[in-house]
Amino acid sequence: MNTAKFLELVRDELELDSDLHVSTNLKELDEWDSMAAMVLIGLVSNEFDVNLTGDDINSITTVQSLIEKIGTERFE
Amino acid sequence: MSIKKNILITGATSGIGKALACLLVKDLNTCVYGIGRDEEKIQDLLGYENFIFLKFDLFKVEEIEELFKSSLGDIKFSGFVHCAGLEETLPIGLYTVDRVQQVFTVNVFSAIEIVRNLSKKKYSLDQASFILLSSVMGELGQPGKIGYCASKSALLGFARSLALELAKRKIRVNCVSPGIVDTPLTQKLFQQIEEENKSRIVGMHPIGIGEPNDVVYLIEYLLGDKSKWLTGQNIKIDGGYSIQ
Ligand SMILES: NC(=O)c1ccc[n+]([C@@H]2O[C@H](COP(=O)([O-])OP(=O)(O)OC[C@H]3O[C@@H](n4cnc5c(N)ncnc54)[C@H](OP(=O)(O)O)[C@@H]3O)[C@@H](O)[C@H]2O)c1
Repeated sequence: MNTAKFLELVRDELELDSDLHVSTNLKELDEWDSMAAMVLIGLVSNEFDVNLTGDDINSITTVQSLIEKIGTERFE
Repeated sequence: MSIKKNILITGATSGIGKALACLLVKDLNTCVYGIGRDEEKIQDLLGYENFIFLKFDLFKVEEIEELFKSSLGDIKFSGFVHCAGLEETLPIGLYTVDRVQQVFTVNVFSAIEIVRNLSKKKYSLDQASFILLSSVMGELGQPGKIGYCASKSALLGFARSLALELAKRKIRVNCVSPGIVDTPLTQKLFQQIEEENKSRIVGMHPIGIGEPNDVVYLIEYLLGDKSKWLTGQNIKIDGGYSIQ
């Protein structure tokens, strides 16, 4: 997937008010909570067929770290 | 071998359904018909003469009638246990109609279609017992469990109406609603959540989480004549989870 498209998708699904960049720390977003984590797991599963575990969610910080969890080769 | 009882089980390849099949086949007067997709998981069961595996994908609800005609033509069942089930975590924003359809197809529609066939005199004996595996989540809620909770609630309504419809043949219909039981379904769920969350969930079961046989013995009772006056109920078996 195109990285810009991915950012837009995450921003849409998490209904973020602020801009989202690969360097944004997801955990520092006002909107970040357990529901947001659930949305992220569902989104990544739908789009990439990758199942993030609880431990993955724990270790994710920035969007870049999420992209690395999914696999950088899946992004252009 | 003189078979006295035929029991049909969905979800016979894993967890609760498999544990139930393993218990029932020990009685040589019982013939167990197990529906599932992956027979790799039940190599031990396949060796039993009184276990018949029906490889079938329950997503294909429209083919269930044909399954009865082609593979169960002259069998009269005295019991049916619907253990097949899909559990998933997906928040409302991501629940497309297709996804809702999927979870309802396996959890609810397949059971309704099986019972539509099974309730005919051709396929069932009077005084048969039908048991549907719902869940404590059929009456409770949890974020991310819309499809699961809604489908498990649907089974409760289905069981009540069905119990009334089939009462004149003294066929009984009940739901069994477990709390967390240690099965592959739970292991998959636990993989998706953090360690801390896992201990919290286990801790919410006052006498601990269950083993498949804890539920199987209740199903065994519901299948037997000793429960002949029990119908239309939802029986919770959850180590005390839902009384808090
Ligand atoms: N474990 C718990 O904590 C718990 C708690 C409350 C309620 N329950 C309910 O109890 C029931 C049994 O749970 P379990 O823990 O034993 O689950 P499980 O180990 O995940 O087994 C699920 C079964 O459903 C079958 N199945 C799923 N989709 C199917 C399909 N499309 N076609 C045919 N078969 C299909 C699977 O067969 P294949 O693998 O062969 O496809 C498998 O045998 C479920 O209805 C579940 O919702 C479980």
